[in-house]
Amino acid sequence: MSRSKHAGGFRNALKEVFSYKSALIGIAILLLLVCLSIYTIITIPLPEAIHAWRSSEIWSKNPRNAQPEWIEIFYGKKLPRTIIVSSKGINASETPLEDGKRAFSLILFFNYDYEDFPPEIIVFFNSSYSEKLTIDVYWIRPDGEEIRLKRHTLRRPDDKLYLSNDLGLELQLERLVESKIGKANFTVTVERGLFMEYSKTLRVLKGRYGIRFESVLNAGDTLEAEVVVYGLVYGLAGTDHLRRPLIIGLLWGTPIAMSFGLAASILTTVLSLIIGTISGWYGGVIDSVIQRATEINAVLPFLPILILLTTFYRIDIFVILLSIILLNIFSLGIKSTRILVMQIKSYPYIEAAQAYGASNLRLILLYVIPKIMPPVVPAMISSVPGFVFLEAALSFLGLGDPFLPTWGKIINDAYTHGALYKGFYYWILEPAFLLILCSVSFALIGIALERTVNPKLKEL
Amino acid sequence: MSSDVRLLELEDLRKWFEIRRGFLSSKTNYVKAVDGVSFSLDEGKAVSLVGESGSGKTTLGKTIIRLYEPNSGRIIFQGKDVTHIRANELKWYRRMTGLVQQDPFGAFASHFTIFRSLEEPLLIHNTVKSKEERAERIFKALEEVRLTPVEDFAYKYPHMLSGGQLQRVAIARAIILEPKLIVADEPVSMLDASVRIEILTLLRRLQERLRLGVIYITHDLATTRFFSEWALIMYAGHVMEKASTQEVLRNPLHPYTRALLTATPEPNPENRNRFKEVPPGEPPALIDPPKSCRFSPRCPHAFDKCFKEEPPEFEAASGHWVKCWLYGRS
Ligand SMILES: Nc1ncnc2c1ncn2[C@@H]1O[C@H](COP(=O)(O)OP(=O)(O)O)[C@@H](O)[C@H]1O
Ligand code: SF4
Ligand SMILES: [Mg+2]
Repeated sequence: MSRSKHAGGFRNALKEVFSYKSALIGIAILLLLVCLSIYTIITIPLPEAIHAWRSSEIWSKNPRNAQPEWIEIFYGKKLPRTIIVSSKGINASETPLEDGKRAFSLILFFNYDYEDFPPEIIVFFNSSYSEKLTIDVYWIRPDGEEIRLKRHTLRRPDDKLYLSNDLGLELQLERLVESKIGKANFTVTVERGLFMEYSKTLRVLKGRYGIRFESVLNAGDTLEAEVVVYGLVYGLAGTDHLRRPLIIGLLWGTPIAMSFGLAASILTTVLSLIIGTISGWYGGVIDSVIQRATEINAVLPFLPILILLTTFYRIDIFVILLSIILLNIFSLGIKSTRILVMQIKSYPYIEAAQAYGASNLRLILLYVIPKIMPPVVPAMISSVPGFVFLEAALSFLGLGDPFLPTWGKIINDAYTHGALYKGFYYWILEPAFLLILCSVSFALIGIALERTVNPKLKEL
Repeated sequence: MSSDVRLLELEDLRKWFEIRRGFLSSKTNYVKAVDGVSFSLDEGKAVSLVGESGSGKTTLGKTIIRLYEPNSGRIIFQGKDVTHIRANELKWYRRMTGLVQQDPFGAFASHFTIFRSLEEPLLIHNTVKSKEERAERIFKALEEVRLTPVEDFAYKYPHMLSGGQLQRVAIARAIILEPKLIVADEPVSMLDASVRIEILTLLRRLQERLRLGVIYITHDLATTRFFSEWALIMYAGHVMEKASTQEVLRNPLHPYTRALLTATPEPNPENRNRFKEVPPGEPPALIDPPKSCRFSPRCPHAFDKCFKEEPPEFEAASGHWVKCWLYGRS
């Protein structure tokens, strides 16, 4: 013991850890995740992130369940991004009529170069009117053909026109297509009808499209329009069922998962270390009480209790953390700590310290804990993934923090909205990938630490 | 005799260890490791505690510096009763006493440097406030024990030092708070023979220079002559003989002491009084020992009285006390 290799070996131990390739990989991943966390915390402040994650309005111009942009690699074709064309800054032509009325005409053009059809088209109006505002909407194809789509009467000043969900329009377009190419051997949806090349094979007609709005405005009426042609892909991570960019949840999930995992593992480890130390150091009644507590704790069903707790109390991440810690500190690890402490207590250097007046507290904190800490650190690091997964699992079960965007919550959303069934694999795979990345990094470091602390494992 | 200031007085000191027989048994037995020890020590003087293993020397040493609390009897230190003091008074007593243990390799926390180990007592007692003064004190203590150049040793970890060097550090640690009394429990028995004399000389010189009272525990009678003014021969928790070291060596009276010393003269006078580690027979079990002379089972001179009654301490010659019926005036 006296020639223990921990003596002043902290730097050496670090050096040794760095000599393992697996540890280096683990550290690299960890650094990456840490940088990601710092970047997230700085660029998207938490209140903003929570607000964004919980509001659906601000994402209305995002596509729903869009895959990440890089998914194109697997499709081998250019998938549509979201196109937004606004009437802002474009002069609508207005011709005065009698009674102060004006004939309104506006054309919004946009280029469509993608090799697939958009999933959805919505026109957002922004108007002010005194009586009633009726708008005729026309579609202009790249070849110059113009199709009258609809006559729409605004129900409120910021009304939306959902072209996609319009059965009448779908029927109209199907007939149009039939008149051009005969009976099509595919269903003609609104988007297909609008963007297809008139040929037997379903193909996008690339080029400049236009959408024209015609109306008669009363004196003082105004009308603005914004056309959103939704894409099939969005950003780095895609969107979910509420059109939210997953990247926000994934990014914020990183610091949350890491700090949760670390906090849970460090606190449970340190607290049970302290409890075990007290048990072994003082012995007697305190020891008996702690021993019985660990034995009872060992037979308590952990998850059901946690579920019970989280259903009874208003849950947030701190309540979850606290319950996990409380349910874990009286772990069986206390038994081995206790025996180790009883052994250390009998070492001459403890007696020497008592002889020069060291108090119990000092002995425990400065003489005993530093001795039993080194073998515990690897286990502590290795236990981080467990806690990260536990939090994810609780979120997945709907028992997580209701406000924070976490990986578990994203998986939960994906699962409840049939991501796998609908083929939205990215929705589950992205958070799962990060979860695994995070776990692997801690596990690799933990294993390397374990090897440096426990030389017997070195040959493995 | 102005220097004869009483430092320590033990009055009928007893330290019994409780042991429980079995799980449910309400009967407690005692290991009577120290069972009625009295002696006194003047300031700046050394006393040797001699006896074979298990005779209670360590227990007595630890009781004196209050690592154990005595079951009965009194410890008077500088005229103050310290037998059952607590808290701040006990902390003061810790500062006034020091301990050098048998095993130098186990005596230091392996995660502390030598400097840090020596700093601990200073930090605990806060006698030296500034970091610079503490360093000064630590370096001075290392110089006292001849670990020079001090910088070469101060920042090393215990495992980088030899046993002899570590024992020097242990002595430095024991004196760093400027105590009045030091218990040195077999300080050289685990060291190489080559460094034993050095360490003992060092301890003796420090004792004289710093006017330390020293309780030197040993099973090697030969080293006592070299070291101490007084000698106490312990057997089975009792002090059997108590006199000046010279007197004990020249004129051993107790049958046990005599058994310890081989009668055959050696050509080398240095080895004449070699301590025989295992005298014939076994020391008695200290669990509830009988009321008799504790040496009686092994004593060649034992007679009836020895088996019935424990002998008191008789003053056989002036300042020479023997716990044996042979010297009873009756
Ligand atoms: N903490 C203890 N608990 C019970 N018995 C003890 C304890 N310490 C010492 N003893 C017993 O007291 C007796 C004296 O031991 P000790 O003082 O170590 O003798 P020495 O130092 O002379 O070898 C031994 O029989 C030993 O087993
Ligand atoms: S009292 Fe008796 S048994 Fe004891 S030492 Fe003296 S003679 Fe021997
Ligand atoms: Mg001993």
